[in-house]
Amino acid sequence: MGGASAALDYDAELMFRVKEGDGTSFALLLEKHRVSVIHFLYRMVQNHAIAEELGQEVFLRVYRARSSYEPTAKFTTWLFRIATHLALNWLRDGRNERAQERIDDDSVDMPARQISDRNPSVEQRMLYDVKLEEVRRAVAALPEKQRAAVLMHKYEEMEYSQIAKVLSCSESAIKSLLFRAYETLRARLAHMA
Amino acid sequence: MEEVMNCPIETQENAETLLAYCAGKLEPGAEVILETHIKACPQCRAFCEGQGTLWKALDVWEAPAVSADFDRRLYGRIEAEGSLSWWDRLVRPLRPMLIRPVLLRPTFAVAAACVIVTAGFLLESPNRVGTVSPQGPAAEVIEVEQVERALDDLEMLREFSLVSMPETTAVKSM
Repeated sequence: MGGASAALDYDAELMFRVKEGDGTSFALLLEKHRVSVIHFLYRMVQNHAIAEELGQEVFLRVYRARSSYEPTAKFTTWLFRIATHLALNWLRDGRNERAQERIDDDSVDMPARQISDRNPSVEQRMLYDVKLEEVRRAVAALPEKQRAAVLMHKYEEMEYSQIAKVLSCSESAIKSLLFRAYETLRARLAHMA
Repeated sequence: MEEVMNCPIETQENAETLLAYCAGKLEPGAEVILETHIKACPQCRAFCEGQGTLWKALDVWEAPAVSADFDRRLYGRIEAEGSLSWWDRLVRPLRPMLIRPVLLRPTFAVAAACVIVTAGFLLESPNRVGTVSPQGPAAEVIEVEQVERALDDLEMLREFSLVSMPETTAVKSM
């Protein structure tokens, strides 16, 4: 808890320095949060190029808002609220068309292999690809808010309270949301045991 | 003396305890109590097995590395914004609405009205608040030029909106 508070203070302190015109502090914030923001966006929109474009917009908005910055919440809460807002807008703007393109086109966005063997066999690679595609489709099939909550909870390891603030709902609503989302995912991916 | 806990699934309370346990984030004391319960509860056992399978499946999904030139592109955009004219800074908040054409029209009309009112004010009012005016006639020339530039930009914006608007669009709210 002390560590989390210290992290909160550090990010807020950096942002205050950015407010005063310190570009180095902005670079430090970017370095610290760039990967998590873009990875979150990637899993939300399932397109690497779009994720980076949205990621650029997130940090641009942070920079633009520097003069009026007040730490009313954790910096990461604010950051992910912007990211979620942009991702949800992007998804709603092109829901049908982009979803189909995303799922069909797996040639560009395949991530690095997570196979310990440096020379995976063809069979291992095929199994990995099939598994990955199933996971992506299962997450993409979730309602957008459930998807955002799962990604923040699972991959960003955020607490319920923070996810609730990002999504502007109560903590109990988030717990219920996550429970339903995981129930759906468990049913869909149970065969992967 | 063993602590007995209510079944999180049956009682619908503290169900997140099971999630935390499956993610390995439960405190050691609570973990021991829950494990004792799980051994005796088929529902919770099935839940944990299913959730464990799900975590492993989700772990397969790694995100690609961030592009090496991400920061360079971002700083390029920041620098470009720093050299924006006052007009571009005025219009920038309206740009996201260009992808929502149905909302553009009233917004565009409001923006156009604001610019016209401002232009009228500048043309008719010799004194501007917040600026240091050079000699009177030169200041008026500068003001007129700025207004003309603003009107040209407004025309360009209108033409751009006509180009970017599709013929048929679904109505969406923001």
